[in-house]
Amino acid sequence: MNIKGEVVRVFPSDTNTDEIISGKYKYDELDLNKLAKHTFESIDSHFYEDCQSLKNLILVAAANFGCGSSREQAPQVLKACGISCIIAESFARIFYRNCFNIGLPLIECPDISKEVAPGEDLEVNFDVGVIRVEDRQIELRFKPIPTFMQELLEKGGLMPYLDACGGYTD
Amino acid sequence: MEQFSEGVSLQTISEKILSNRSGVDAESGEIVAVPVDLVFAHDGTLPLAIQQLGDHKVKQPKKVVAFCDHASPSPSEKVSNVQAFMRQFARRYGMDFYENGDGICHQIVLEKYASPYQIIVGGDSHTCTHGALGAFATGMGSTDVAAVMAHGKTWLKVPETVRVEVSGELPQHVHSKDIFLELVSRITADGATYKALEFCGETVEAMSVESRATLSNMAIEAGAKVGLCAADEKVKAFLARYGRSKDFKPLYPDEDAVYAQQVHINADTVVPLIAKPHRVDNVVPVTELEGKELDQVCIGSCTNGRIEDLRDAARILKGHRSKARLVVYPASRGVLLEALKEGIVEIFLKAGASIGPPGCGFCIGRTVALGDDEVALSTQNRNFKGRMGNDKSFIYLSSPSTAAASAVEGRITDPRNRDG
Repeated sequence: MNIKGEVVRVFPSDTNTDEIISGKYKYDELDLNKLAKHTFESIDSHFYEDCQSLKNLILVAAANFGCGSSREQAPQVLKACGISCIIAESFARIFYRNCFNIGLPLIECPDISKEVAPGEDLEVNFDVGVIRVEDRQIELRFKPIPTFMQELLEKGGLMPYLDACGGYTD
Repeated sequence: MEQFSEGVSLQTISEKILSNRSGVDAESGEIVAVPVDLVFAHDGTLPLAIQQLGDHKVKQPKKVVAFCDHASPSPSEKVSNVQAFMRQFARRYGMDFYENGDGICHQIVLEKYASPYQIIVGGDSHTCTHGALGAFATGMGSTDVAAVMAHGKTWLKVPETVRVEVSGELPQHVHSKDIFLELVSRITADGATYKALEFCGETVEAMSVESRATLSNMAIEAGAKVGLCAADEKVKAFLARYGRSKDFKPLYPDEDAVYAQQVHINADTVVPLIAKPHRVDNVVPVTELEGKELDQVCIGSCTNGRIEDLRDAARILKGHRSKARLVVYPASRGVLLEALKEGIVEIFLKAGASIGPPGCGFCIGRTVALGDDEVALSTQNRNFKGRMGNDKSFIYLSSPSTAAASAVEGRITDPRNRDG
């Protein structure tokens, strides 16, 4: 699998799911496309708008991205904003699981928040674990995603994956 | 990990539960599929889980529980419509459903459902609370909740364990909340990411299940998957108190279990602590902040809204009038009834408190919100920017004793300087 895209933002360490989508909206709205308009509203008010004008977006962050609340609305609104992949130095556990469950690929890459900047074009090769920074001809390496997680992504997330294999095998 | 000739390893609590329930010798790092004993979600996570469930049927409705506790009682038409959607779903399947005012999902699960060796999946990050009863209980997102509803199982990576040993005696007005704040200030907010925390030592053994639940509840604030305690005589007595003696099974880690990390906390030297905005690991002694003016003091939440928390606060508030706005949300209807019987409600009312219906209340800012630039001291678990409904406000976290002492003065106050 390969993804090409532009870095839309680089977020700092410990960016939490309350910041991705505030608790003040998530109880009101079941339509994720409408909810997406409030993505990062409290810390980055132009985020949603900027995502509209770009295609194939890649989000970059430092350590522990997506910590805090288990709200799956967080990865769902990022997906609805057009984010095709998130690269961070590390992820919080529940957020990590939620992303794969909805078919949104994540990559853990050391120092990524220092290596790339918003506006740069990246090409991510999931099979060999390489991120190419197009303009600067730099290659960054990451540990490829475990096979099981790759299968989840290929099937489009956990529910379609379990449907395809007929549930859990005993 | 060291293996014996029988192939049985020396196991942590996590490994014991996951081996027992998966039927394989579950060592940390392995992925196992396990049957789920209880799956629950609330008004913030169940509606999305129902959407993700799509055309699938709920396999075992008796193992699914739904709660209206977060935006509760509903503050708007939109929220009411979302809650109606989940209410209809719960009724259609005949699953247990808890209404606005019944209490916070975690308190009700502690009282009525959780027990040792169970696998519990909750659509809420603080599901780790139930580790206090020896359950492998972990928070997941709505799709995982939907998958468990459809298939009755989940997959789990067996976590490595950080062993937190607490020894010594807690000084007066120092509580398990202070122990956790001490821990997270040392290991940081992602210090246990993907790992299990196991709380042990004489101080934990001496604690009530309620105090242990505060430790387990906050495990996620250090990134942990679960926050486990042994299932001992205290757990047995707790279950008996709620008419569930038959659910008890003793559960201890093996003496020579292998841990990824060991942390030791000497309770004798722990002081009342506060987490400053906007991070839970931004911890200082209360003495460093004494005198800071407060607009609102909040007592309650799944961290510290249990009867012993209300007792701690009432002892200090008795005979005083709060100088800050005081908001109290008991964790469940049962807790509120006990507080009523013990005269605690009267103490709070005379102190000027506004007592909310059992539920999450102030903690997620959907029914009680702060104003711009306001400062709150709360007994909850999170002080993220915007958590209490306003990203221009400031949240400090403490134990109920520190919160009560601070309410009396209207500014941050060391509870050791108060009577009670």
